[in-house]
Amino acid sequence: MSKGAFLIARNNGHIDYVKQAVFLAKRIKKYLNIPVTVATDSADYLKDSFDIQVFDQIISLDYTNESNLRYFFDGALTKKTASFKNNNRASVYDLSPYDETLLMDTDYVISNSLLKPVFNSSADFLIYKKSNDIAKVRDESEFDKISDTSVDFYWATVVYFRKTDTNRIFFNLVSHIEQEWNHYRRVYQITSTLFRNDFAFSIAIHIMNGFQSGNFAQQLPGSMMYTTDKDVLWKMNEDEMMFLIEKKDYLGEYTALNTKGQTIHVMNKVSLNRIIDQEFAND
Amino acid sequence: MDERLEKALDFSNYMLTLNNQKRLLAEKYQEDLIHFYNGSQFTITRELITFVSAMVSADQDEVVITDDNNIPCMAEDLKSFYNEIINKYAIASNDYYTAYADLKKNRSVEKLVNYE
Repeated sequence: MSKGAFLIARNNGHIDYVKQAVFLAKRIKKYLNIPVTVATDSADYLKDSFDIQVFDQIISLDYTNESNLRYFFDGALTKKTASFKNNNRASVYDLSPYDETLLMDTDYVISNSLLKPVFNSSADFLIYKKSNDIAKVRDESEFDKISDTSVDFYWATVVYFRKTDTNRIFFNLVSHIEQEWNHYRRVYQITSTLFRNDFAFSIAIHIMNGFQSGNFAQQLPGSMMYTTDKDVLWKMNEDEMMFLIEKKDYLGEYTALNTKGQTIHVMNKVSLNRIIDQEFAND
Repeated sequence: MDERLEKALDFSNYMLTLNNQKRLLAEKYQEDLIHFYNGSQFTITRELITFVSAMVSADQDEVVITDDNNIPCMAEDLKSFYNEIINKYAIASNDYYTAYADLKKNRSVEKLVNYE
């Protein structure tokens, strides 16, 4: 059975996801020691600008312009609007060259080997439901249910799956939900028009479970630890990261926080890219 | 600013950072307690250790244990499983103890977050 990680990197003119993918691939090699495949719409840029030996395979995607716009914050006081190219995630099932795939967002900063044993799991589909805001000053209920009156929230940030007939049905369903997003977001009482993979995966899991809670999706080990884009990644040294975490009720003020050996979903992609630039400059 | 208030705010900031760092250590400890066995995922708790110990004492060679995802797992070599979880629990707990003790020694925000 072949095993590997799969990343999707589609640049939007504001965030360099390709650079993040190269950075993450190096960390995956270091901490998980598995091959990494990247699917990107900027394959030429990747080949011209970075060391591509870190990748097992590079898959070219067509470049498209999307109207899925959202804010990208860099700390509590700075933000920009840019397109959010998050579609086609369901195609990973067909694109992945591996029998067992660990699909990851490029802003998921691997800092330990906790996910390594999932490839021997008896479950065919693993995902995070339990999450943990490392700041602990914000309301985390938005990551409990996909809306106040709807179903359980699952994070599409990291997903482990085997190529099975059932998982093929699941990914095809995600693709269908994406195509009919305006219908499904109304059925599941999501007020925002923005398409999010977390929502599509959560809805698909709910349907796969027979429109109720169930055990189609098993939990990845530990919990999804994250910082939002209102926080700033300030410093990184190997498995150690220092964050400036937004201070409750004091807009623009921060508290320092240090993590060591903990994998963190860093949603402030702008500050992550600044740190990656420093890391690459030191290489 | 009144010096008394300034010192109180400094201490408040220090305590906020200290408590955050303690919380992160506790979360890392929980991650370190996760053990994989025969494709199943277990968080090692004192309850799990006691149960497995009781089964070993009762001369059971194998026993079914439900994992973190409520999937039943047949622990076929119970003694070996017991040794694995005991070792992992001891290492994780000692690491937690050492890191916690180091944290308590730090008397400034800069030292707490290793930024000097």
